[in-house]
Amino acid sequence: MNIDQFTRNAGQPVRRFEYDDRSLLAVDFGPETDASVDLVDDTVIVVLADDQYEFDLPEWADDAHTFMKNGVLTVELEAEA
Amino acid sequence: MKLTVKPLKQKDAGRGLAAVDRVSMRELDLENGDYIVLSGSGDGQAVARVWPGYPEDEGRGIVRIDGRLRQEADVGIDDSVTVEPADVKPANSVTVALPQNLRIRGDIGPLVRDKLSGQAVTEGQTVPFSLSFGPMASSGQSVPLKIANTSPGGTVVITDSTSIEISETPAEQVSAGGGPSAEGVPNVTYEDIGGLDDELDQVREMIELPMRHPELFQQLGIEPPKGVLLHGPPGTGKTLMAKAVANEIDAYFETISGPEIMSKYYGESEEQLREVFEEAEENAPAIIFIDELDSIAAKREEAGGDVERRVVAQLLSLMDGLEERGRVTVIAATNRVDDIDPALRRGGRFDREIEIGVPDKDGRKEILQVHTRGMPLSDSIDLDRYAENTHGFVGADLESLTRESAMNALRRIRPELDLEEDEIDADVLESLHVTEGDLKEALKGIQPSAMREVFVEVPDVTWNDVGGLEDTKERLRETIQWPLDYPEVFEAMDMKAAKGVMMYGPPGTGKTLLAKAVANEAQSNFISIKGPELLNKYVGESEKGVREIFEKARSNAPTVIFFDEIDSIAGERGQRQSDSGVGERVVSQLLTELDGLEELEDVVVIATTNRPDLIDKALLRPGRLDRHVHVPVPDEEARKKIFEVHTRNKPLADAVDLDWLAGETEGYVGADVEAVCREASMAASREFINSVDPEEMSDTIGNVRISKEHFEHALGEVQPSVTPETRERYEEIEEEFDRAEPAQEQDQLGRTFQ
Repeated sequence: MNIDQFTRNAGQPVRRFEYDDRSLLAVDFGPETDASVDLVDDTVIVVLADDQYEFDLPEWADDAHTFMKNGVLTVELEAEA
Repeated sequence: MKLTVKPLKQKDAGRGLAAVDRVSMRELDLENGDYIVLSGSGDGQAVARVWPGYPEDEGRGIVRIDGRLRQEADVGIDDSVTVEPADVKPANSVTVALPQNLRIRGDIGPLVRDKLSGQAVTEGQTVPFSLSFGPMASSGQSVPLKIANTSPGGTVVITDSTSIEISETPAEQVSAGGGPSAEGVPNVTYEDIGGLDDELDQVREMIELPMRHPELFQQLGIEPPKGVLLHGPPGTGKTLMAKAVANEIDAYFETISGPEIMSKYYGESEEQLREVFEEAEENAPAIIFIDELDSIAAKREEAGGDVERRVVAQLLSLMDGLEERGRVTVIAATNRVDDIDPALRRGGRFDREIEIGVPDKDGRKEILQVHTRGMPLSDSIDLDRYAENTHGFVGADLESLTRESAMNALRRIRPELDLEEDEIDADVLESLHVTEGDLKEALKGIQPSAMREVFVEVPDVTWNDVGGLEDTKERLRETIQWPLDYPEVFEAMDMKAAKGVMMYGPPGTGKTLLAKAVANEAQSNFISIKGPELLNKYVGESEKGVREIFEKARSNAPTVIFFDEIDSIAGERGQRQSDSGVGERVVSQLLTELDGLEELEDVVVIATTNRPDLIDKALLRPGRLDRHVHVPVPDEEARKKIFEVHTRNKPLADAVDLDWLAGETEGYVGADVEAVCREASMAASREFINSVDPEEMSDTIGNVRISKEHFEHALGEVQPSVTPETRERYEEIEEEFDRAEPAQEQDQLGRTFQ
């Protein structure tokens, strides 16, 4: 699954924002879920209590920053140079 | 830090999120998902999670929150609000108190936790708790829950591991906040309106700005706008918008419903109107909302009685009379804007007219999101798809779609319900889910309201059911499906979709069948017109019929209009027939509708005829019915395909060879082929029924086959309906049309695709 497919298929509100210098993906899993996120190579792995999502970052993104806070997953990508 | 409040996009609403713009986020040292406390000018306080700000807000100091948070924080749009990072701990346990009249039995703890999880609460706070299927579902109300106790103290957030306890003492005194506020102001927020962002902005600019900051207008030296007229088809959200504006602005709100102010006493109707305005003026700033304006402000020259005329005159002078009106704004809604007295539609009275149109795909999606917000949908449901399939649906239709699907879900669990009991089991409530099947079932039963008059059930015919005619099918697909499926190609090539297609050919060759297949496959609304039904005995009514059809088609685009046997209403003009010229006027009306000043957007006309030579030539020129498709008498190959279609589900004997049948049926058209197949099956049945004992029939029926002899018999019975002369005639016509068509089109195609 790549990032676009994930955006389309996820049941949660997913927003993608394109800022001038970076692009940002935010997903709300709801604060009640005990979710965690991991970045292995170019794959983002989200582990929920009873579910798991995986998706690849686009190839052009060489610097990604992911974190999860109170159920809000944030993936920040440096935009194409 | 002070930030300006703006509305959240519908999609993000209802989850306790606050979109903070990035610059402010950096200054406050916040990250996505952090908890913040929003406090307005009063004592209102709300807790929210940070959500990334919209790119367009960057650096403008904006926080976007939904209506619920606005209510909790006691702020309105464009107010400023103090935002601080909050220190919120997850709750170990929370005790809630329910209102006494809530009749639910069993442990609703898990249900409450499900609904409230993620919300930050403080002790003593009242949380609106929406029971999508509870006893209060019909009114759309939410149950006020009071937070009696939390552990640890302070602001806590409810998580999946929080234990919820239900307090023994009912929370009866908890009327503060939540519920509808005083003065009958409706409880609708801007997030409850989907797909009308531009219109809403216009209304707000006209009404909210002058109310909040009259000094702006003083500085500019102009009078603030006095009134807004909302118009559009029924069910598009005019009244809802007025309600939302009234709710979001803290203004005095007064409604006038047309028929209500009428009185039998002389002069009393006008007096009631004056009273409403006076009352509003005393309570300024105020909004007066007149629903169904056409009922009290019809055109004076057409108004029936004296009273009506005086009411209109009174309204005129109240709206812009000698007396100053002060800060009273009038919003009126109507779906018949052309019936309003013209004197009302000028500046100073209704300064601006805002059209609320039928929503497009994105609008429909937003509306669906609004209506399914509190609904437990199963995960497989893709609202995008439903937004795509619901051409011509207005907000009210979409609402009834979601309501019907919920009712279907309810119907599924009804056998488990014991209606005798006072209370509903909490387990049952929890198990309620709206599934994909529920939605699909509901979609079948709902037609777009604007189309109800002319709606036809879309026939169940696919391209697959049309044998042969490959060229014709391809051309139809190009004309009708491509512009809808690949708009970007049409845009890139700077070309406009064809307006219409005329199919001609001998009777029985499948013209109507093709139109049916198009209707089914085109994913558009479909209006079918049988020519003669347009004619009316009154002068001018027949033309009006044509106008109305096109108007309906326009407002429900994309639409396919299908004229069967168009020669009956579009005969050549100038023949001086004995019908006092009605026919000619209908033709003229058709001509202007197809290619007039008013643009036909996403409306395609398909016409069929077997007398193309009789049709008015002006109708056939490019820009009108510009594609002429000859549906020819099928050749051998095509006849074989037609036989395939008609014998697909018939028990044929092995000896029956379709190639042989196709070879034998020179000159047969599609309808004849169908008749041959029917006749052959009939012959087989006749033989079977006459030879077999009725009692054994059910055992032997599986052995019946339609043999070659049966087909031979059928070929003797059914004669070809097209004679060689007719065929020649149509071929001549085709040549004629080919010559008339612009020849360069073919050349260009050739060069491009070499």
